[in-house]
Amino acid sequence: MGTFIQQVFNGLTVGGIYALIALGYTMVYGVMRLINFAHGDLCILGAFVGLTLLTGAAGSGHSGAVLLLAAFVLAVVVIAAAGVVLELVAYRPLRKADRLSAVVSALGASLLIENSIMLIWGPDVHVFPGDLLPATTWTVAGASITFVQVMIILASVLLMAALYLFIHHTRFGTAIRATAIDQDTARLMGIKVNRVILTVFVIGPALGAIGGLFVGIYYREAYFTMGWTYGLYAFIAAILGGIGNIPGAMLGGVLLGLFNAFAAGYISSSWQDAITFALLIAILLVRPTGLLGEPDAGKV
Amino acid sequence: MIWKQTAGAASAFAVLTCAMLVGVATASAASPIRFGVQAPITGPYADEGQGIEKAVRLLAEQQNAKGGLLGRQIEVTVCDDEGKPSQAAICARQLVNAKVVAVIGSYTSGAALAAEPIYAAADVLQTSDGTSNKLSEQGFKTWFGNAAPNSAEAEFTANYLVNVRAFKRIAVLTDHSSFATGLADEVIKNIAAVHGNVVEKAFVNADSQNFTPVLTKLKSLNPDVLYYSGYFSDGGLIRAQMQQLGMDAAFVGGDANQNVSFAKIAGAAAGGSVIVNVPAPQDLPYPAAKQFVADYKAKYGALPPSVFTLTNADGMRAILEAIEATKGTEPAALENHLHHLVDFQGLTGTFAWNERGERTGSPFVAFEVQADGAYKILYPEPAK
Repeated sequence: MGTFIQQVFNGLTVGGIYALIALGYTMVYGVMRLINFAHGDLCILGAFVGLTLLTGAAGSGHSGAVLLLAAFVLAVVVIAAAGVVLELVAYRPLRKADRLSAVVSALGASLLIENSIMLIWGPDVHVFPGDLLPATTWTVAGASITFVQVMIILASVLLMAALYLFIHHTRFGTAIRATAIDQDTARLMGIKVNRVILTVFVIGPALGAIGGLFVGIYYREAYFTMGWTYGLYAFIAAILGGIGNIPGAMLGGVLLGLFNAFAAGYISSSWQDAITFALLIAILLVRPTGLLGEPDAGKV
Repeated sequence: MIWKQTAGAASAFAVLTCAMLVGVATASAASPIRFGVQAPITGPYADEGQGIEKAVRLLAEQQNAKGGLLGRQIEVTVCDDEGKPSQAAICARQLVNAKVVAVIGSYTSGAALAAEPIYAAADVLQTSDGTSNKLSEQGFKTWFGNAAPNSAEAEFTANYLVNVRAFKRIAVLTDHSSFATGLADEVIKNIAAVHGNVVEKAFVNADSQNFTPVLTKLKSLNPDVLYYSGYFSDGGLIRAQMQQLGMDAAFVGGDANQNVSFAKIAGAAAGGSVIVNVPAPQDLPYPAAKQFVADYKAKYGALPPSVFTLTNADGMRAILEAIEATKGTEPAALENHLHHLVDFQGLTGTFAWNERGERTGSPFVAFEVQADGAYKILYPEPAK
């Protein structure tokens, strides 16, 4: 029983991170029908920005909580700005071009960010300070649950709930949903579509930066190729839940984390990824639009 | 161990000057005994090659200061093989013509291999740190490998886990790389050979960071030790996540875990982790090794470049001892003596040679990572 609960918490922690990152993919896809392949790298860029503040301010006398808060704020601001630049430079000029051009531009942006991280911070493994958060561990029915895990799960749930409320219960959220359904009609209704898209490129990368920084704080290491790994998992989570669908991305992320934990824990650690992705294929065969996706109903 | 690469083929500009540096020859009634050094004095392995030359010159100087060998002075002749097989063959002929009794080197397996048949035909002893299996497979009586063969780490690890620490339930964890799976499989084979109990062999995806699912599974099997054969960046994280999960099994890592980042990544969990590797020269626990490293540093102002400097020195020390024991430089007598060494006290541990000239007795040690990231050798126990 303890082992089972432990695996659930293992899965939920990493699933929450996947979900936060997956939201960026799904929102951009929702309004633009574009897979933003640079998203994973933006998230890890967030981890590096936060790391720079944390290591730079080490020994400044501020408490761990203050430093962390500052790191999150800085990462969110920098990565949201980077998201806006990405949209203006790499995607907006290609808005009317065919889809493939935008995808290639996204792949190019991904490589650009990844290599920039390598050139700025170097190719080595970077280690996060370990004393920022209390090392408290709770034992629940034989399972060990740490403070960091609880913080990540709670913060992910809160952020996702806030996003859900924003999209469904504010005027701007309504504008985003309208843009997702039909850009031209939304424009006719007086919605400033470019502003909506820019907002999406602020919210997605900002959530991604938080996810990236969670990765750094949870595992205490960051290196420049990490964006690809996390981007891939989060992208799959978005597809699993139904790309373009916000609750779907949340569900997909959490399920992917749980699948992975159960595959490694109960079936075979060497086949862990193969089993996870076989399950993904099986779900997509039954529901081609993902778990919560609906055919052709443009949603965010 | 991380394999040394054999040097590539000769490049176009390989017109070579082979520096024939003749050691200080003191006038003596008897003719000197000549030792050859064949090593990459220039090129990509120059650091290692120069280390071998310096070690041999140091040993010769020390022996001469004690009155020489059998009352005769030792002279050292060096030939630069640049780590290239083509140049190695030229060196071998030059050294044979210089009438050396034995040759120390070369650093790379490829260069040692190219020279091997030439020394064998001339009955000149050859001792090198080359670890390629081909070197001993040819069956030359003159070949004496001074580095432990590639299988030595697994053998050492199995003995350490099963006999030294008496672990009863061993979990083996590896990533999917050929290096790590190869090492893990060898360790499992050797554990079986010493009747140890492996409860599970599990895999992690390197760089995936999320190792808690696999570790939770392993924890449920209640192992008393977890052996990880992969690399330090994952090893440090595995160690940290074991602590996070409240897993109290010991951690023993393969040689690729030795990196300063291991302790940083493992953080508070680093202390008490054990890593199996060949120690750096200055960390060798034996008094003779400490003395040699101190003498080397005093003479050359720097530490030996790697442990291979010392394994080559061990090859020469064994040959010096053989010449004294057989009271001559008759090749057949020396070969016979060296093939029947019993527990020769080397700088890199106790060793001997089997009839194929493979080193038995490895230089591996198990050391414990301290909370501050420093290393403390646990086994073999350091001499006081």
